[in-house]
Amino acid sequence: MRTAPMPLLLVLSFAGPALAAPDADTLLKQTYDNYRSTSSQTTVAMTIHRPTWERSLQMKAWTRGESDALVRFTGPAKDAGNATLKLGQQTWVYNPKLNQVIQLPASMMSQSWMGSDFSYNDLSKSDDLITDYTHRIVSSGQDGGHATWTVESVPKPGAPVVWGKVDVTVRDDFVITGETYFDQDMKPARRMATNKVGVLGGRTYPLSMTMSPLDQPGQWTRIETSDGKFNAAVPAYVFTLSNLQNPRP
Amino acid sequence: MLAALAWRNLWRRPQRTALSLASIAIVTGLLVFMLSFQISVYDTMKEGTLRIFDGFAELQPVGYADDPGLDKAIDDPGALVHEATAIRGVAAAAPRVNTFAILANGPRSYGAAVIGVDPASEAKISSIAGAIRVGRYLTAADTDSAILGDVLAANLKLGVGGRVTLLGQARDGSVAADVLTVVGLYHSGVPELDRSILEMPLARAQDTFAMDGAANTIAVGGPTLAGVDRALPALRAIAGPSKTAVLNWEALEPALNDGIELKYATSMLLYLTLVAVVAFIILNTLLMSVLERTREFGTLLAMGMRPGQIGAMIWIELLGLALLGSAIGLAVGGGATLWLQHTGIVIPGIAKLTAQFGLPERLYPRLTPLSALIGPGAILAAILVGGLVPYFRVARLTPALAMRAA
Repeated sequence: MRTAPMPLLLVLSFAGPALAAPDADTLLKQTYDNYRSTSSQTTVAMTIHRPTWERSLQMKAWTRGESDALVRFTGPAKDAGNATLKLGQQTWVYNPKLNQVIQLPASMMSQSWMGSDFSYNDLSKSDDLITDYTHRIVSSGQDGGHATWTVESVPKPGAPVVWGKVDVTVRDDFVITGETYFDQDMKPARRMATNKVGVLGGRTYPLSMTMSPLDQPGQWTRIETSDGKFNAAVPAYVFTLSNLQNPRP
Repeated sequence: MLAALAWRNLWRRPQRTALSLASIAIVTGLLVFMLSFQISVYDTMKEGTLRIFDGFAELQPVGYADDPGLDKAIDDPGALVHEATAIRGVAAAAPRVNTFAILANGPRSYGAAVIGVDPASEAKISSIAGAIRVGRYLTAADTDSAILGDVLAANLKLGVGGRVTLLGQARDGSVAADVLTVVGLYHSGVPELDRSILEMPLARAQDTFAMDGAANTIAVGGPTLAGVDRALPALRAIAGPSKTAVLNWEALEPALNDGIELKYATSMLLYLTLVAVVAFIILNTLLMSVLERTREFGTLLAMGMRPGQIGAMIWIELLGLALLGSAIGLAVGGGATLWLQHTGIVIPGIAKLTAQFGLPERLYPRLTPLSALIGPGAILAAILVGGLVPYFRVARLTPALAMRAA
């Protein structure tokens, strides 16, 4: 998750024909290119599961390019209206109760986003898995009639990343089926799995994905995308602070 | 008779005896003073540090220390607070809600610890209430007030009367947001606290963070740290039924505890060196005198004194020397300690350091039976054990050979 902006992940897009003998760099690049339609509008449900409670949030997400995103919560009533806007490296949050926009300090970027297993960093990191890591295919397999490859990504020396390595499993139609994040001691720290792949907005799409921190048993966050429009023009005003605070209909 | 002989022998060489006495006395005096000072300063340091914020002990949900979170809470803190304050040695128990939030003022925002506190009991445990530099501390009547560290306030460009926005996560996972009015700024002298803590009324925090009357921790304070330490078993007894753990001060401030133990360990090396040096000096002097007196011992043996008696006589000489020397040292060192205990000692240039540990500028040694007797005891033991060497040496003498010795 950390490798793609969270709202972008909500709109992962996969198109194009399957390739036969992939090279690791090309495979990931292709997958990422397919992640990023030039823009997207999606409706997403996020389920946060904890040993003692579980709650579900509904949201709408808009993305533009690689790093701009707006997420607005539509339910439940307690959280409706809260919104997060990311422009480049900067992130703002809007809270309707306070009717205030707050810019996030850099020190808070590793904190949990809306109480989920995603951090604000997950929202803001875009393609560092492509640019900051070296890749090689370590295994191949089969998944429901598709060939899959697992790409091991190791940070380049000096790259500003927190993970020891990331293993990504990709299908031959460029759908990510799983991602495992290893800490600096090469112990698996968290794992994301695709639970359901389907067609959405005309593309093959991971409709349901679950992120589990491996040191916290009984804890996970699932995102399910129910509606999506891709590559349709999103008006520029969507990605502004004034729209964050006073959404236009 | 042996004792009388020994005593007379000691003063046959008054200069040598006086020098030996002086070295024993100086080291004993130093040990008495240094131990009294060190033990007292560390006790003051422990209490001072714990009084700033932690309290002398803390009740918290089992597992909270390893992985704190709002969802680990004490559901009925009122009952535990009531029971805890009834325990002998405990003067106050302060329920707290502990969490982190983004604090914002206009375009500025910082992450900080947000503590919901009960002003009355909090003031009895944490010296932050007395460290308010501008404005005032929270009162029971406050609803939407907050106090924060002066460094944090400066970072946020906030003064008394300013409004601070809180944005965090509530216990149920929903968004927690609130706006509070700053009524006071504190300066504890501990930079980490001054730039990272906001305190707000407990009830307001319970409301904002959906705690439903629960608290995360209960800080426990009392007149003395030792008193609260003695109350730990009673605290554990009341905490047990509600799945609540009791943390003592070592668990609350492990770094401080480790630091003090490290200092004691290194000081012990110094003290042991002092004791060893003085023991060897005395032993050396004694061996010299035994060598000098070999002919005298031969004569005594020839007159019918048994070697064991001569050995015992030498050992008694040593005992007298050590007892007298450490008595003088104890008197001088103890006297100086008592005097400084009254006037205090100011070490120039360490004010910043002492403030960090909640220490006053003027430090006071404290003479206790322990600090007074460890030093003299160690020296006596070292000298008396060392004294067995000449004892066995004398015991091996034969009259004829000894009388002909040089």
